[in-house]
This record gives sequence, structure tokens and C-alpha cells, in this order.
Amino acid sequence: MSLWKKIAVFISVMGPGIITANIDNDASGITTYSVAGARFGYSLLWTLIPTTIALVVIQEMIGRMGVVTGKGLSDLIRENYGVKATFFMMLGLLIANFGNTVANFAGWAASMEILGFTKYMMVPFGAVTIWILVTKGSYRAVEIILLYACFIFVGYIISGVMANPDWNAVIKQTFVPKIQWKSEYIMMSIAIIGTTITPWMQFYLQSSIAEKGISKEHYKASRLDVIIGCSITDIISFFIIITCGTLLFPYGIRINEASEAALALRPLAGDYASLIFAISLANASLLGAIIVPLATAYYICEAMGWERGVNKTFKDAPQFMWIYTLTIALPSLLVLIPGAPLVFLMVLSAVINGLLLPFVLVFAILLINNKKLMGEFTNSRMQNYISWGTIISVIFLTVAWVVTSVF
Amino acid sequence: MSFFGELFVSEILGKPVLDPKGDDLGKVRDIIVVRGEAFPKVSALILEKKKSLLNLPWAGLNIFNKRIISSNNYSESLQTYEFNEKDLLIVRDIFDKQIVDANGAKVVRVNDVKLEGYDSEALLIAVDVGMRGIMRRLGFERGGEDVMRIFKKPLPYNLISWTYMQPLEPKLTKISLTVPRQMVSELHPADIAEIISQVSHKEGASFFKGLDVETAAEALSELEPEVQAAIITDMETDKAADIIEEMPPDEAADVLSDLPADKAKKILESIEKEEAEDIQELLSHEEDTAGGLMTNDFIAYPPEISVKEAIEKFRKDAEDVETVYYLYITDPDEKLLGVVSLRELLLAPPDAKLSEILESKLKTVTPDTDEIEVAEIVSKYNLVAIPVVDTEGFMLGIVTIDDVIDVILPPSAKRKRRKV
Repeated sequence: MSLWKKIAVFISVMGPGIITANIDNDASGITTYSVAGARFGYSLLWTLIPTTIALVVIQEMIGRMGVVTGKGLSDLIRENYGVKATFFMMLGLLIANFGNTVANFAGWAASMEILGFTKYMMVPFGAVTIWILVTKGSYRAVEIILLYACFIFVGYIISGVMANPDWNAVIKQTFVPKIQWKSEYIMMSIAIIGTTITPWMQFYLQSSIAEKGISKEHYKASRLDVIIGCSITDIISFFIIITCGTLLFPYGIRINEASEAALALRPLAGDYASLIFAISLANASLLGAIIVPLATAYYICEAMGWERGVNKTFKDAPQFMWIYTLTIALPSLLVLIPGAPLVFLMVLSAVINGLLLPFVLVFAILLINNKKLMGEFTNSRMQNYISWGTIISVIFLTVAWVVTSVF
Repeated sequence: MSFFGELFVSEILGKPVLDPKGDDLGKVRDIIVVRGEAFPKVSALILEKKKSLLNLPWAGLNIFNKRIISSNNYSESLQTYEFNEKDLLIVRDIFDKQIVDANGAKVVRVNDVKLEGYDSEALLIAVDVGMRGIMRRLGFERGGEDVMRIFKKPLPYNLISWTYMQPLEPKLTKISLTVPRQMVSELHPADIAEIISQVSHKEGASFFKGLDVETAAEALSELEPEVQAAIITDMETDKAADIIEEMPPDEAADVLSDLPADKAKKILESIEKEEAEDIQELLSHEEDTAGGLMTNDFIAYPPEISVKEAIEKFRKDAEDVETVYYLYITDPDEKLLGVVSLRELLLAPPDAKLSEILESKLKTVTPDTDEIEVAEIVSKYNLVAIPVVDTEGFMLGIVTIDDVIDVILPPSAKRKRRKV
């Protein structure tokens, strides 16, 4: 195949991996990276390397299943493991994604306040716009927004470079880990993995690849898309940590929220950094709020066999429309109620995500080794060693994360 | 054995089967069905005892209901069973799979299967696709009823008769009936397209292959370009060519332009020459211009014939042409002279010449006019179709309003994707 033809093939299958990666850096992800940078400087940068490897190993399998079977992950789990496993998994996904959406609307509210808008106006405005965009607009509009939104993430790279970090230290700390045996440090490094590898993105990636109808011959191009996407996710995380590590860490400024990072950056690095952080957070939050509720409603309805589709009415597709509408409406209301248990909901969501992930990953690896489904595309023995190794470590770490974030 | 009444398969799964002495033969693990006269029928139960599987033929059953299942065989006389791909098993092959409900024109998921006794056979008569089926599988059916009672609403049964079921897996089509196939072909092409866009490409392709050529051609043009390409690429060239030939040339060109070049070439070679030339001509234009939207399927008559002759000719020609509301008047070199609407033709005196009633000041576009501009002109002048002419005024084709609407509002199956 000539180089041009290869490039043409890649462009035609490109998308799912890169878009998934972008949405992966949602409000809670950005919070984790900002907090990590402010608290530990560059010393957590090395965790991004194993995280990226684990992400690539897992997403490659998920992507391969999407290409070969042409079906979504919730579809495959339902067809191969029956209604019970599916039902409880979908219930967990619903609760976890509800919490995710709360986090996203909270991120949207906070960033809007920094930019000088009142959240009492911007949250309802955001929620209604999303709802209308998806139910009344066309998918094409959503897709265009998603693709352009990817560019806003470049803001983090710019702010990282403009922070003028000590590149020698950055490179050294990235490739030569100096682990600090403090419980807070270890918790933080586990949190980075926990927010990067989430259950719902596995469902999202596989469905979007299946939906795109990528054929087996183009699987290699699709794999490249997935690998590039995984790398982008962690490059963005890398620059967020660098920015906060360069500008906030030396002054010992502790933050708990991504929005606090934006505020703390203003006196130290000027308005530009603060603005970039606020706009990027707003963008990430809104993207998450568009995709997560919609994705949740689709997987659940697909798995349970309920009528689905954004063009349907409440009468034709009641479960779909109610799940979709309520996962937007309730979180946006919760964010506006003073004293609502937001932190509790976000922790709950993290815990459920952590509990769900082992099941999702084990189902995924069992499915990918199913000859009937995958034919010659099952894992090779070597791939199985790597995958099981990765999955067991990720499971171990997320369970540890769940335990530490609860107690 | 006689079996009267009805039961759901999930109610007997895991139930012990007793031999004549009342000893446990094993627990029900799955059920084999075979093609029956009207409905598929149960041919054997598969029992599981201490990890080994036994095949208990239907004839060996004595009592069969949701409380007691007993056999007149002892375990020594039963053969062991091994899972294989040939048998059709209710739990393995039907449970949790997607199936097309040809009556409701939608894709459903099988939550449970209902068996009914008839003439000493157990027939698979319906599938449960509702909430009740899910609850029953989860073991909450009672609980669900209680909860619904609080709201003073019954938990609805949502059963769909097997008569309306069109399986998506090629394997299951063995036990499907001929009725759904006919029903599917009577569905509106847009509904068929929606069904196909709801299932995986592989299932969509196998469903599509079951359609007759005419329905297939209509449904194909309602699908997204990627899905069209996937389905056609997957088909044998001859069958694909038959379907493409049935489509209007502009839609055929759209489908072919999304295919890999060698596949498109092969298909074009197997299509009737005249039709293939029309399509080839359309393929040479950019997709988002008037040339890309146009069809060369239109009615054109010479100016010198009379209205009466034109009407006679029209009766014959209109059958194969998609858009018939305008008759274009062209000279022998196909240079566009004017247009007569169908209404004007019918209202004109029969012996008038077409040249006397034609409207010569008509709106035209060139093949490279942008599609949005075409849409604006069609909308501004309230046209049903607009002719496409080259710079010298030779008629190339027409752009019809349905293609223009697709530019502004993509057809439902294309716009309302399930993708997120």
C-alpha cells in the first residue's frame, strides 16, 4: 500500500479513539492532575507512563472487539453473560455516570463563576442547551463541536510551555521515578490511574468504533487511532501537571479543585494562565456533560433491549428519554442547591467506577478470547500475559483507590 | 406426552427433572428446538448433572410444567450431550439476542421465551421483550408486580408472537417462518433502514440479504453511506448489481461512489450497459454540486409533437422514471428549449403542439453549482425539480426536490443515528 493510501485509510477510520481520549479528560480528571501537580510538583509525572501503557493495552482490546464483532460492549456482555450480569453492571454504570455528570456540572459552574458569569444562569443554560442540541439538533452538529473542542485542550499545552518549566527536571522526573513512600503520594498516584481508566469509556470507545463500521482490513489504522488517542490523553495530563507543578508547587499552594487552580494561577502567572485553565475546564466539563448522559442512556437501553434514539419521543422510548433527561436535569439542579451532598456523590461515583472496572475488564478479556466471536483476532498468548498483567495491576490499584478514598 | 398450558423458559431453567422413581436426573440447562409445522417445537431438554450434560428427548418426558418435570427414562438410558453449533438452543442462541419484530418494525431483545402445549408438542410461540421478562429472569417478577400495584398499574406483558419474528442471525433463520419475510418486505423502506441502523453491520447485512431486490433497492438509498458501502461490499457482485440496477441512477451513483474502486467497477460491469453509462456519467461529478445530486432519469420530448401524442408517450415512459412532474422539451441534440408541467400538459388542448405551450424562461443550474445554491433556487421558485445544463445549454439531468431536502435535512435514518 502506498503511503498516501495508508494516510487516506487512517483519516477515514480516525475519530473514535481520539474523541474518547478527549472526553476522558473531564472535570474530575483535570482536577486530579491539577491537584497532583500543585501538591507534588513534577514528582508524579512518571505515573503517566505506566498509565498510558495500561490504557493502550486495554483500549486496544476494546477497539479490536469493536472492529471484529461490530457490536458494542454492553451488547456483547448481554448476549454472552445474560441478563443478570448486564442488569447490575448497567445499574452501576447509571449511578457512576450520574456522579460523573454531577462533577462535570460542578466544573462547568465553577469555571463560569471564574469567567464572571453567575452559575444560577449558566448551569440551567448549559443543561438546556445540551438537551436541545442532542434531541433536536443533528448528530453532525455534536460531532463538529466535539472535533473543535479537541483544539481547546491544546490550551493546556500552551499554558504548560508558557509556565517556563525546568525541562531538565521535567524529563528526569518523568523517566526516573523517585517514589515518595507517603500515603498521600501513593493515593495520588493511584487516583491518576483511576481517573484515566474508567468503565464508561470502554463502552463508549467500542460502540463508536462498531458504529463507524470499520472493517477488519483497516484494523491496524484503527489501532493507531486508539494509540494516538491514549497518548493525547496523557500528554494533556502531562502539561496540566507541569503547569501546576511549575507555578503552584514552589509556593506550597494547596488546591482541592481544578477551578481553584485557575484562581491560584492568576496572581502568579497572570490572567492568561487563569483564563486558559478556566476555559479548558469549562470545555472539558461541558463535553463530558454532553456525552456521558447520552452514552449512558444508549448502553443501558441497548443492553436491555429498550427503544432508543435521540429523535424518539417520551412515549416511544420512555426509558431512553427519561434516563437521558434525568441524568442531565438532576445533576444540574444538585449543583445549584446550596449544601447538596456533591462531594459525597462524586466519591460514590468514584467508588462505583472502581468496583465496576474489574468486572468490565474481566468480561472484556474473556470476550476477546472467545473464538466464536473473535475468530483469528483473539489475543495471542503473549498478548494475554500482557493484558492479564495489566488488568490485574489496574484492578489492584483501583480497589486500593476505592478503599483509600472511602476511609 | 401431553403438555397443556404454557410456561416461560426461565421458569424451568435450573429445575430438577425426576426419573420414574423420583430420583434427580439433572437440572434443566437448555432446550433444543427444531423447525415445526407452524412454530418451532421443542425436541429435547439438556440436563446438567455434576458438570456432565445429558440429552433428554421430548418423547421421554412424562410431566412437563413449571412445578414438576418428570421423565419416564432412567439416567442409564440417556445419552450424554455435547454443545455443538448445529443444534438450536433456546438459552444459548435465542435468549438475550436481538430480533426484528416485523409487525412493529423495530429491533427488540429477547428477555424470555414462551412455550405452549399443542397436540403433545411444546411449541415456541412467543418471545417476551418487556420489563416483565427482565424481572422474571432476575427473579423479581413478584416484587415488580407488588411495586406496580402501589402505582395502581399492572406490570404489562410484552409478548411478541413468533409469527412476526425475523431473526438476524443466519443460523436462526432455519426456524423462522415465511410470514415475517413477507411482512418485512412490506415495511416502509425508511423503517427497514432504521432497523438496519440499530443492529451491528454484520447482522444488518444478513437481514438485508433476505429482502427482495425491489425492497432492498429502496431501503439501500435510505441508509448511511458507510452502511451502504459495508453491505454492498459484503455481497456477491451479481446480487449487488441487481439491487443497484433497480435504483434510480443518481442514488446508484451515490452508493457506488462510496465503494472501493475495484468493487464499484465490477458491479458496473455486471449492470446493463445503458444503465451503467448513465451511472458512470453521474459519477464524474463532485458530490456536493448539482452534478453530484442530479439524476439523468427524466422525461424529454421534442417540441413538434402534439399534446395528445405527448400524453400517450408519457403513459409509457413515466413508469420507469422517478420524477414525472415536468416534461422537458429538447431539440434533437438534447439542447433544452423549455418545460411543460404535467398540469399544463393535461389542461392544454389535445391538438396543440408542445412548442406552443412550453415555458422557455426556466431556471437552470450548471453541474458545478454548489448544492446549497441549488437548494436556495429550488426553494425560492417553489420547484419540484430543476434542470442541469452545461454552458452551451445542453441538458444533462435534473435535480429533484427529494435530493434537495436531503441536503438541508438528511433523511431520518442518516440523521438520527444511535451513535453518540
